[in-house]
Order: sequence, then C-alpha cells, then structure tokens
Amino acid sequence: MNLSKSLLILAAFIFTISCDTNNTNDEIATPDSYEFTRSGQSTVSFSGQTTRIKMATELSVAMTDFDNSTEELLLEMYRNETANGGDANPYSDADLNAAIKSVKSKVAASTDFFSTNTATSVELKNQFETWISAQINEVFPNQNVEAQPGIAGQIADGTSTRYVSAKGFEYNQMLAKGLIGALMADQILNNYVSVSVLDAGNNVEENTAKVTLDGKAYTNMEHKWDEAYGYLFGVSQNKAKPLATIGEDDDFLNEYVGKVNSDPDFEGIAQEIFDAYALGRAAIVENDYDLRDEQATILRNRISTVLAVRAVYYLESGINALQETPTNYGAAFHDLSEAYGFMFSLQFSRVPNTDDSYLTKAEIDGFLAALEEGNGLWDVQVETLQNISTSIASKFNFTIEEAAN
Amino acid sequence: MKRYLFLFLSVSLLVSSCTETNPSGPDPDDFDRKAILENWAENIIIPALTDFSQKTESLKTAGNNFAENPSQQALEALRDEWKTGYLAWQQVSMFETPKTMEIRFRNNLNIYPVDTAKVKENIGQGEYNLNLPSQIDQQGFPALDYLLYGLAESDSEILAFYNSGENSSDYRNYVVDLVTRIDSLTDIVLNDWNSSYRHEFVNNSGNGANSSIDMMVNDYIFYYEKNLRAGKIGIPAGVFSGTPLPQNVEGVYSREFSKELFLESLTATQNFFNGKHFNSETTGSSLSNYLDFLNTIKNGTDLTQLINQQFEASRTKAQNLNSSFVDQVETNNSLMLQTYDELQKNVILMKVDMLQALNINVDYVDADGD
Repeated sequence: MNLSKSLLILAAFIFTISCDTNNTNDEIATPDSYEFTRSGQSTVSFSGQTTRIKMATELSVAMTDFDNSTEELLLEMYRNETANGGDANPYSDADLNAAIKSVKSKVAASTDFFSTNTATSVELKNQFETWISAQINEVFPNQNVEAQPGIAGQIADGTSTRYVSAKGFEYNQMLAKGLIGALMADQILNNYVSVSVLDAGNNVEENTAKVTLDGKAYTNMEHKWDEAYGYLFGVSQNKAKPLATIGEDDDFLNEYVGKVNSDPDFEGIAQEIFDAYALGRAAIVENDYDLRDEQATILRNRISTVLAVRAVYYLESGINALQETPTNYGAAFHDLSEAYGFMFSLQFSRVPNTDDSYLTKAEIDGFLAALEEGNGLWDVQVETLQNISTSIASKFNFTIEEAAN
Repeated sequence: MKRYLFLFLSVSLLVSSCTETNPSGPDPDDFDRKAILENWAENIIIPALTDFSQKTESLKTAGNNFAENPSQQALEALRDEWKTGYLAWQQVSMFETPKTMEIRFRNNLNIYPVDTAKVKENIGQGEYNLNLPSQIDQQGFPALDYLLYGLAESDSEILAFYNSGENSSDYRNYVVDLVTRIDSLTDIVLNDWNSSYRHEFVNNSGNGANSSIDMMVNDYIFYYEKNLRAGKIGIPAGVFSGTPLPQNVEGVYSREFSKELFLESLTATQNFFNGKHFNSETTGSSLSNYLDFLNTIKNGTDLTQLINQQFEASRTKAQNLNSSFVDQVETNNSLMLQTYDELQKNVILMKVDMLQALNINVDYVDADGD
C-alpha cells in the first residue's frame, strides 16, 4: 500500500466519522436567516408575491364593505383589469394600481397541476368570480335582513354579525380561505418548488455556473425558490427572520401557519417550514439539487398539513356550535364557511414525491356538495360533517383531536 | 364469558383509578346539587329578574313620559330610572339560559361602546330593525347613556334635540323604542323562568356537560372573565390594546356611574358564589358550600375562603378608583391595572381550582378572532 492510497483511506475514514457526528464543513448548514448575497448584493427577490398578497387582502376586506363595494370593483380587484381588459385602478394602495400583476392570473395556475389542465384552471379561476358576484347580488341587497333558511342576510355570532348566503355561507370566508390553496399553496407546492419549474430551460446549467439573469443579482432558479418563499413571508415585518411575527402578517397562509404552530400538537411546524425554505435556498447556492428537493418534500407535507388541520379544526368547531342549545347557527356558519374554504384549498395540496394532492378534486367536490345540499348549512347533518372530518384526517399524520383544539 | 371477563377487568380498573385520584375525599355525587339549583332559581335569579323587570317597566314609563314632554324634569326622572335599571341589570346579566341565548339578551341590552354614528343614522332614517345582530351597539343601556347624557354638553342643548331639533320626533321615538325593547326582552326572559324553565333548570341536576350546574357555572365564570374583569376594567385600562381606551368605559357619557356599575356587578358575582339571597342577608346552598363539602384546600387554605378573600381584595382595590373610570383611566391608569390584576387572581382560583374540584369542564374557548 503506498502512501497516497493510505491517505485516501484515512481521509475516507475521517469523513465517515464526521458524517456520523452530523456536523461538518462538508454539509450545508441551515441558515437562521433568509438572506443570501452575491458580491455584496442581496440575491433575494419576491416583490411580485408581496404585491399579490396585498391585492388579495384588499379584495378580501372589500367583500364586506357594503357602503363602497360594487361587483365591478371587486372583479377589478380580482383581475386588476376592467371588464374590457383595460387598465384598472381598483385598489386603495397606489403601488397596487401601478402593478401589472393580478390575483386571478395566478389562481389555479401551477405548472404541475394546470399547465395541461386549463379547463379545470379556468373553472377554478371562475369559481372566485362566482362568489364575488353572489356576494354583491345575493348578500348585499339583504344587508339588513335577518338570515333564514333560503334567505340571505345577517346572523349573530356572539357579538359579531355575519353576512351569509341563502344557504348560510359567508362568501367572503370562502374566497379568503379558498385563495390560501388556489393562490398561495398551489404556487408554492405545485409550481415554485417543483423540479419542472426550478430546472426549466437552462436553469440548472446557469445556476451551477452562477449565471445571473440580465440586470439581476440572482439566478433564475434562486428567484423561483424565493417566489415560493414570498407567498408565505411576502408581507412579514422582518422578511429575513419572519417567525417572530408568524400568524400576524397576513390573513392568508401566514396567519394559518401561525395558528397551527400555536397548537401544542403542531408546535414547531413553522420552524420546520422556515428551515426547509432556508436550507433549500442554501442548497441552490451550493448546487446541491438533491438537498433542495428534500426540502421541497418537507414544504409540501407541512404546508398541506396546515390546510388540512384548519379544515378539520373548523369542521369540529362547526359541529360543536351545531350541538349547542339553542343551536348556535351564527358560529356554525362562520366556522363551516371557513372549513369550506380550507377544504376547497386541499385540492391544491401535494403529496411529496407524487403528482397528486392529498385528496382528489372529486373527493373535495363531494364534500363541498354535501355542505351545499338542500338548504345548505341550515340543515347539514353533524354526521355528514364528522365523516368529512374523518376522511380528511385519515390522509394525514394527525388525529381529529389533535387538530380540533 | 370473555365479554364478562373484559367487563370485570374494566370495572376493577375504573374503581382502582378512582380511588387513586381521590383517595379519601368526599364524592361530588353525594352532594345535593338540586338544593343549589333551587336556591339559585328561587332565591337569587328569579327575584333578581323580577326586580329588574319592575325597573325596566318604570324605565319604560319614564321614557314615554319624557317623549310626551321632554322637559328638564322629565329628563332627570328618566335618567334616574335609567341608572336604577342599569344597576339592577348588573344583578342579572350573568344568568344565561337557552332563552337569553336565543334572544341575545345581554348583547341587546349592554354592548358598549355604543356606535353613536349609527344611532344617529337610525334616528335620521326613522326606520330600523333593532332585532338585527348588526344593531346591538345601537340600543340598550349604552345607547340611552348617549341619548340622555352625550348628545351635547349642557342639558338645555340635549333637550333641544328632543324639542326643536330637525328630527326631534325621531329622537323621541328612538328613546321610546329603546326603553320598550329593554322591557319586553326582560319580560320574555322572566316569563320563561316563571312558566317552564324553572322546573327544567332545577331538575337537570346531574353532573354532565349539559347539566344545569355545569352550564350555569361556565356562564358565570365567562361573565366574570369577559364582562366584569375585561369589559368593565381591562379593556378601558388598555390591558388588551396596550393603550387605555376611555371611550370603552361602561356608562361613558354619564361618566360618574362607572364605578358603581362595576361594584354592583362585583357584589352580584360574589353573592352568587356564596348563595346569598337576592336583597337579603340570608345565604343558601351554592358553590361555596359545595367546595366546603368537598373540603377543597389549596396551599393549606380553604378554597372558599381564598375566593372570598380575593373578591374582597378586588373590592378594596377598587375603592380607591374615581367614580368615573374615564377620569381614572386618563389620570392614573395604574390603579385600574392593579384592580384588573386582583380580579384576574380570582379567574385562576375559580376557573382552574374551583372547576377542578367540582369536576366541571370549561365549555368555552377564546374566540379565534377571525
């Protein structure tokens, strides 16, 4: 055995040992901050996601602005264009009016799920317009009517007033919670952390050689990953270290990652999600694409879990309200409208290492139809809700009890 | 045979686990819970509601008199009845029944702060449905507080709204509608107790989540925590918002009664705990002697005694407060915060220690706020 060979063996031996200790210079550490630079310049960019979250926020709030909202205004907020396709300025924030992006263009628009399924994409995009129009044409005229089975109007939920459809649904809740799946989760899980998007075109070659986009400090692959990050942390107060205010920064995915994280049964899930984003981004910088894709599987599982936990949570809350004496319809309708939105969102969830959502669109359509049947939430049976809750939880690694509290 | 064996095993397991958790103490099942329910219904709740309904009747009369002739004298008479009624309300606000839930009794009588812009909108339109959930902050005692004290600085200016102002007849009608509604909602609740609910309440004397005691105790603690501790003290003192909110004081426009209203409510909750008969020195069966029966000790002291001491500590602390909490919050808010802290200690003694001893589960959670 010559010297160089023995050195090689020795080196291999040391490497093995140090691997076991799980802490070597060879491994990519998980950054504790989502900050990445090249030649002193930040390479992180997700302003488009920040813009869309803000647009969705204005739309969601305007859904119950009885004094100022019209169907035209709400549809313009959703499309950021006029009915004729012209430039619209529906937002109170001038920066949003100046933007050419829109919420609608990214609803049900992921590469993996919809690039060859435009019929479904169009159907889902239009679903939000249906809710918007129904809010204006069905609920708004009955602003000062007491809701009854078959009659839209207002109903008390404690000291809050809820405005519901003839079947007891709050369209504003369905829209807001539906966007969490159709916009945020779909873009993250089925688009920006997907191999099909990250590795598209020359992305791998360019990223490996660190060829940045024209006039930008980042490679295309880095940017795609950042866009996935932006749909969760795009309006966080501290965008590099966003966990201190998780749950408080928007009314969409950020809020509900925060809510699930504050349930002791799921404590730490926000950190796991952040770490997967940060390590995945570091892996892209280091050209470690396997490590990147491992982080994508974590994001897909955890973010899908957040949607499912909230769907079950609101179903269980709704069941409890329906079982109160006297029946607490107002609370039940509010909870079940949120549950509806989260169930709708679950069709955009993603089982890691597969092409599938955790529940199929057909399964989810079945659940939603069960809620809408007859007089809708006015006469939905507790048993129906329990069965749905059980079906959802059974696809995930948590129990109804863990999600319900 | 297998099935019997299994049954035997589970029974013996059940028995052994019972004795383990409660080695020598008395069994809650041996206590006469029905006696508590009878005392609450017969000697506290129904008499307090009867008294309140007489006062809402007088309030209604005074409101009608004022509307017929809005004089200084009629205004003062109406203010007196309003204050009397508002104090009597503090004795009954905590008692929830299926009927009070159905008609949203507390929310219709005492949601504050009142939405003054919407009150004026209602009056301006002359058309409104006070039964709508969105109207809860435009009616009840807080709306009257605004209409009788808050429309202007001086009494003559206030009276002008009812005598010569643009919508003076609508103003008068609105006062009549408010006092009428307070009275009729109260009648609905009292009639329900007198006709059927008393029997149902007293006979539902088991110890499950839907038993009268479990439900009433939950409603009682909810009231103490949300309406008394938070509503009357914590929210105006800024405990939840970071900055004081003087406009959220109960009775903000009359200004000088907020402490009285608070103390009345505090006394009512303590009296209920001790089973003290309405408007009397006699006491009967209630949570205090239920705890005594169970010999509930915390840190070496009798829990009943600790809870009563804490009620007293809260009252003592509150004695130093200005009669107007608006002034108190604006001049020395730390005294408000100290009062809140004393009140909070009893949330722990009652919601944690008492409920554990009585084997009652909390049936409400903080709303998730979305």
